[in-house]
Amino acid sequence: MKDTFILNLVHRPELNPEYAEKTAGGGKGLEDESIDIFKLQQRLAHENGLKTTIQMTYSSLFSQYVVDLAKSDHQKYGDEIGLSLLGLPCRQFNEKYRTKDFCIWMFSLEDRKRIIDDVFGKFFECFGFWPESTGSYYLDAQSIAYIEERYPSVKCAVATCWEEGPKAYHTCNNSWYTLMDGGPWNPWIPSTCNTHVPAKGPEDDSHIVAIPHLSRDLIACFDGNGSNFGTHPQNVLRGMVYEGDQYPYLFNLIDQYRHMGKYNGGYSYNMMFVGPGWLNKKGRWEAPYSLLEKSYSDAMAYYGNLKKEGKLCDMGMSEFASWFRENRLYSSEAFLWKDILYGSEKSHFWYSSPSMRCCLDMNQGGAMIDLRPYESKLVRECGIGTSHVQEVSYPFLIQANYRAGYFTHYAGEGTVKSCTVSYGGVKADMCLCRTKAVLRSEDGQRVLELDPVQFKLGELVADIQSVFYFREGSNEVKTVRKVLRTSIPDAKVCITEYMTACYGTTEYPEPMDGIKLIAGDKTLDYQYKCRTVRAVGCCTAVVPQVECKVSMHASEGDECFVKEGYAFSPMFTLGVVRNAGQGEVFESWLKLEKAN
Amino acid sequence: MAQAGKGKLNYRCPSCFMRDIDIDMFYDEDKKEYYCIRCCYHGSEEDVLQKNQMARFRYKSMLKRFDFDDDGQKERK
Repeated sequence: MKDTFILNLVHRPELNPEYAEKTAGGGKGLEDESIDIFKLQQRLAHENGLKTTIQMTYSSLFSQYVVDLAKSDHQKYGDEIGLSLLGLPCRQFNEKYRTKDFCIWMFSLEDRKRIIDDVFGKFFECFGFWPESTGSYYLDAQSIAYIEERYPSVKCAVATCWEEGPKAYHTCNNSWYTLMDGGPWNPWIPSTCNTHVPAKGPEDDSHIVAIPHLSRDLIACFDGNGSNFGTHPQNVLRGMVYEGDQYPYLFNLIDQYRHMGKYNGGYSYNMMFVGPGWLNKKGRWEAPYSLLEKSYSDAMAYYGNLKKEGKLCDMGMSEFASWFRENRLYSSEAFLWKDILYGSEKSHFWYSSPSMRCCLDMNQGGAMIDLRPYESKLVRECGIGTSHVQEVSYPFLIQANYRAGYFTHYAGEGTVKSCTVSYGGVKADMCLCRTKAVLRSEDGQRVLELDPVQFKLGELVADIQSVFYFREGSNEVKTVRKVLRTSIPDAKVCITEYMTACYGTTEYPEPMDGIKLIAGDKTLDYQYKCRTVRAVGCCTAVVPQVECKVSMHASEGDECFVKEGYAFSPMFTLGVVRNAGQGEVFESWLKLEKAN
Repeated sequence: MAQAGKGKLNYRCPSCFMRDIDIDMFYDEDKKEYYCIRCCYHGSEEDVLQKNQMARFRYKSMLKRFDFDDDGQKERK
C-alpha cells in the first residue's frame, strides 16, 4: 500500500465525561447529553463515509441502549467495537472500587489487573466476543503484558499522548497528572520493557500495535501545551488557534501529517479521538456549542473528502494493527516538521527508532534539543506502590527546554548537542546559525542535509555544512561537518563537537552522583567539581540512573574530553575535537548503549 | 457580598493563557467583572475578549493555508 494516509477515528460513549461532569454537575441530564454527543459524532463520521472504532467505556457497558447502538453501527457501517480503559468512573465503578482514581496506570498492579478483568469481562458479557483494541491516555508495559496474557485478541491500543508531560501539567494549573513525555509521535510496536520504547524485534515485541492519543504538532507541542495543537478540533479552539469560525491550522496540521508519507515509505497516519466532554451543550470555555459542533463537523468533512478523492484510508484500530505489522513492523520513523503556526520558517527533525528518539532544530544549526535513550530499555514500574505513581515519562539525556539548551542565565550550561568553531581565539557556536534542511532516505539510512552556514571568526570567514546520518537499526548518529570554504586558504578552524547532557523527566535537576565520565583510559566519578579530562579516542558517560552509556568518538587519534559540571550547572559534557581546513570534513559519532 | 460564580461563558484568564495556563475565571456580580484567582487579572467581558485576541499575536500563520512539497510548505493563494 504505497502512499497510504491512514485514519483511526475513535469515539467513546462516556456517560460521565471527565470534563463535563464538573461543569455540568453530573446526573441523568448529563448521561443523556453524553449519549447524544456520541450519536452526533457517529452520525457525522458516517455521513462522511468514515468508519470508526467505538471504544466502549466501563460505564457505557451498563447501558443496554449504548451497547445496542454500538452493535447496530458495527453491523451497518463496519465500525469496530473496542474497549477503552478511559471512562471508568460511574456509579458501578465507584461503589466497587471506592476511589476517584480513573487513570489505569496509576492504580496498584493488583488493582489494575482486577479492573482490567472486570472491564474485559463486562465487555464479553455484553457482546459475546473479546475486544481487539483497547487503550487509555497511557498504557504501561505491565498492563499491556497482562492484557496480552489474558486477552490475546487485543492487537492495538491507544498507549500514550505525545509530549503530554510537565507542559500539560503546567497548563492545567498543576492539576492534570498525565506525565508521559518521551514517546513516539506516530504508531509503533512497544517493547515489553517500556511502552514508550519501540520494539527491536520479536524478542521484545509486546504483541500490540500502539497508537498515540491524537496526532500532534511536532513544533508547537514541544514548547507549548500539547493539548492545543493536535488532530482534535476542540483542542485547536482551546488553543485559540481560530478566528470567528475559521481554523485552517487544523487542516494544515492534517496535511503536514499526510506529507510524512514521503519520508516513511509512503505511509502516513492520523488519529482523532474526541471525548464527549469536548462537545457539551454548555460550550467549552470561550467556544459556544455551535462552534464546537461545527469544528467537529468540518473535520469529518475534511477527512471524508480526502477519502472520496482516494487520498485517505479509514481503518478500525485492529485492522490498522494488522496493516502496521505487515507493512511497518519495527521500522524507524523520521520527519522534518515545518512550523505552520507561528510564521517562523523554523523546522524540527524528529527521529524515532528502537534505539532512540531525538529532535534536531534547524533554527539552531541542527542542534540536538531532545534525546531519549531508548537503547537503555528502561523498565519503570508505575502506579500506587511504586516510586512512579503518576510519572511515566521516558527520561531524556537532552531536553533543551526543560534543562536549558544553548542559552542559560548568567552561568552554567544547558542540555544540547552542537559544535563550536574557533579560529584565532574567536569561538562561535553552531546553535546561533539559523538554517534549513532537506531530508532524504538513501542506502538504508535517513540523511538530513543542512544548508551551509557562515562563521565570522575575526578576520576569517568559514562556510560550514552539517549533515546527519541515521542508519536503520543503528544505535549511533553520525555527524559530518564539512568545511566548504575559508576566506584564508590555508587556515584551519578548530571544530569541537560536543554534547552537554544530564538526565531527568522534568525541569528540575536530579542528583548526578554515581555518573562516571571516561575520556580514553581516564575516569572521573561525578562530584560537582567542575573538572575536565582530555585524552585521545572515545569519551563516555555512564548514567546509572537511566541505565545508559552514551559516548562520542571521531577518527582514531582525534582529541576527546569529558567535562564535569558543578552544583549550579548539574550537567556533563562530552566532546571530540579536530582542526579542519577548506575541503576537509570532521566526522563523529554519538552512540547509545544500555549500561547495567 | 455573595460568592462569585461563573459568567455566561466559561472564560479563562487571558493573562494566564498567555503564560500557557488554562484557568477558569469567576464572575463578580457586584463589580460586573471577571477575575482570576491565581493572578491579578480582572476585567469586563469586553476586556477579556480584547485580551484573548491579543493572545493570538504569536500565531502569525493562524489563518494561512499551506500546501506541502519537497521544499517545505507553500502558502495557498
